[in-house]
Amino acid sequence: MDITRRNVLFAGGAVGLLAILTACSSAGSAGSDLDYWYYFSDGNQQKYFKKHFVDDYKGSVPVRLTVKSSDTIDRLTQTALAAGKGPALIVTPGPSQVDAYSGAGYLADLTKYADKYKWNEKFSKWALEASKVDGKLVTLPTSYESMAFYFNPAVIDKNKLTVPKTREEFENFCTEAKAKGMIPLAAGNADWKGANEWHLTVAFNHNAGPHAIYSALQGKTPWTDAVFVDSVELLASYFQRGWYGGGVDTYFTNQFPKVYKQLASGEAAGMISGTWEFSNLAPYFGKAAGNSAEWDWATLPSFRKGIPPVVWDLGIGQSTGVNAKAPNVAAAAEYLNFLTTNTKTIAASIEAMNFQPPPIQLTVADFTANADERTTRLYTELPKAQTIGYTTWTFFPQKTETYMINEFEKVLTKQLSAKDYCAGIQLRFAKELAAGQVPTAPEPAGLSS
Amino acid sequence: MLPLVLVNIVVILIPSVSSVIYSFTDWSGIGNATFIGFDNYTTMFGDADFRNALWHNILWTIFFLIVPMAMGLFGAYALTRVRRFRLLFRVAYFIPYIVASVVSASIWRSLLSPDTGVGKILGVNFLGDRNLALGSVAFVNNWAWWGFLVVVFLASMQSINPNLYEAAAMDGAGPTRQFFSITMPSIRPTFAFLGLMTIIWSFLSFDYVYILTQGGPAGSTDVLSTLLYRNAFGTLQAGYASAMGVVMALISGIVVAVYLWIRKTRNWEI
Repeated sequence: MDITRRNVLFAGGAVGLLAILTACSSAGSAGSDLDYWYYFSDGNQQKYFKKHFVDDYKGSVPVRLTVKSSDTIDRLTQTALAAGKGPALIVTPGPSQVDAYSGAGYLADLTKYADKYKWNEKFSKWALEASKVDGKLVTLPTSYESMAFYFNPAVIDKNKLTVPKTREEFENFCTEAKAKGMIPLAAGNADWKGANEWHLTVAFNHNAGPHAIYSALQGKTPWTDAVFVDSVELLASYFQRGWYGGGVDTYFTNQFPKVYKQLASGEAAGMISGTWEFSNLAPYFGKAAGNSAEWDWATLPSFRKGIPPVVWDLGIGQSTGVNAKAPNVAAAAEYLNFLTTNTKTIAASIEAMNFQPPPIQLTVADFTANADERTTRLYTELPKAQTIGYTTWTFFPQKTETYMINEFEKVLTKQLSAKDYCAGIQLRFAKELAAGQVPTAPEPAGLSS
Repeated sequence: MLPLVLVNIVVILIPSVSSVIYSFTDWSGIGNATFIGFDNYTTMFGDADFRNALWHNILWTIFFLIVPMAMGLFGAYALTRVRRFRLLFRVAYFIPYIVASVVSASIWRSLLSPDTGVGKILGVNFLGDRNLALGSVAFVNNWAWWGFLVVVFLASMQSINPNLYEAAAMDGAGPTRQFFSITMPSIRPTFAFLGLMTIIWSFLSFDYVYILTQGGPAGSTDVLSTLLYRNAFGTLQAGYASAMGVVMALISGIVVAVYLWIRKTRNWEI
C-alpha cells in the first residue's frame, strides 16, 4: 500500500472521528453535574420525573438526566462502565444482577452513607439486606413490588364469582368463569417472556410456601423436593386447562394490551400480576378508556394447607448504586438519598403517576385525600406484612432465574416434566450458591420482625 | 485505502479477535474475565438448547435455499416475459425488502393473530403453536426476502444474449426448456452466489425471530443468534455467547471456503 499525503490525511480524519466518537461515549462523566441515566414507560412519567426528581432537587450538585430505552439501558450502562465511564448513578434490574456489578468493582461502598442518612431506619430491613454484597451495602432498592390478584368488581358481581382466598376457591373461580365462557385469568407473555416467572413466583410462594423457599435459598432443601415439583405440576395443569390466557398457545401470543382489555371488558374474570400494573391498567379503565370499568386488587390465594392465608411476595424491581469512578461519590449518594427517602415527593409521585416507591415506611398521612385508595392500601398494608414471599427476580441468582423463565415453557408444552424442570433449577442453583451469587433473603416472617 | 483499513481494524478486526479471546473465558459481560480453556466449547456441544437452535438454523437454511430461491427464479423469469409494467412489478416485489423488519414483523403478527387475523379465520395460532411457529416466522421473513431475489435474478437474466432465446425458439424449445438450457446455465454464478449468501444470512438470522417469538414458544423458534443473545444479555454469559459467535463464524467460513473451492474448480466467473 502506498502511503501518500492524502492517505495520511484520511487516516488522520478517521482517527479524529474515532476520537470524537470516544469523546461522545465518555460524555457521561464529563462536567460537574451528576449524570443519571433512566428510562420511562411514557412521556408523562418522564416529564413528571424530570420536574419533581431532577429540576426540583436542591442538593449540592445538580443532576443531569439522560433518558434511555428500557430495552437498552443495561447494556449501555455496562458498556460505559467497562470503558471506565458511565453515569454517576448506576441503575440495575435488581439484586440478582448487583453481584456482577459489584464483583467488577463498578459500585461504590455505600455503607458509610447508610449511617449518615439513617437508611437503616428508613428502609425495610429485608430490602437493605438484599442490597448487600459481602456485607457491604452497594445499592439501594429504588422500587419494590408484590404480586396481586386483579379483578373487575362489576364483572365479579355480575357473574356471581368470589375473589378466591384458598385453592378450592381459586379452582372454583376458574371453573365457573370458564363455564360462563370467560377466560378465567387474563395472561400472556408475547411482550415479555419474564411473565413466566411471575406465575412461578406465585406457585412457589403460595403452594410450596415461603418457608420451603427460604430453606431452598439457604441450600438446605433441594429444588427437587416434592413440594416444588408439585407446585410446578399444579401451575402447569392450570395452564393446560386453559385457565391462564385462554390456553397455552394463546398465552404465548397474548400481548399486554390485550390482557388489560380482557380484564376491563369482562372477557377475563381476573388477572394475576405484579403491583407494577397499577400504572399499566389506568389507560384501559374508566374515563381514560371511555368506559365505566373499574379494577381492584386483592392478595393472592393460598394453595395449600399450612400456607398462611396472606403472603406478600416481595420484589425489588430496581436497585441503584453509585459509580465507584464517579467524580463525586458523596454528591451521588446525596441524590440517591433524595430519590429514595423523600417521602413527600415519593408519595406525590405515587398519587400522580403510580410510580413504584422504594421500600420505605409510608403511612396514610403521607398521601393526600385525593390519593387512589387502591394505591394507598397497597403501600400502607405491604410494610405491615405478617408473612413475606420471595420473587424469583429478586432472591434467585441470575442463571437460575433465566432457566426458570425459559424452560417453564417446555413444561407447559409437555416437553419437560416438572421433576426434570426442578432438577434443572437445582443444578444451576447449586453452582450459583457455591459461587456466592445468591442474594441475601430475609426470613419468611413479617416485615416488622 | 488506509482509512478504510483503519476503520476495519477498529470495527471488525479488534471486536472479532476479542470475541475469539472471550470465547475462552467465563466473562459475564461485566468486569474481568477468567481463562477457562475450551470449557465453553465443550459445554456448547453438550447443550441441548444449542443443538436445538443449530437444527433450526439448518431447517431455516434449507427452507431459504429452496422456497425463496425458487420463487425468485420463477418471478424473475416471468418478468423477463412481461413487456408492460415491468418496472412496476419490480418495485412491488422489492418494497417488502426495504420495509424495516420491525414494521413488517409487527404487521404480520397482526395478520397471523388468532384474534384478529388469518389465524382467527382458520382457527390456527400460527405463532403460539410450537409445531407451526418456526415455519410461520420463516414464511414472514421469506415474504420480505424473495422480492430481493427476483430483482437480482432479473438483472442477471437481462444480461443474457436474447439471440440465444431466439435460436432456441427456432429450434422448437419451449419456455421451460429455454429456462433450464439457457437461463439457468447463464445465471449460474449469480445463483451460486445468492445460494452462498443465503446460507450465511440464514445462520445470522435474528430480527424476525426475535420480534415475532423471541425464540419461543418453548424454544421452538430458537436459532443460534437468539440463543446467543439470550446467553449474552439474559444470563450474562458473554464468554459462552462469544463461543457461539465463533462457531457461527466458522460455519460461515466453511461455507465460503467450499464455495470458493467449487468456483475455482469449475472456473466460474462473477
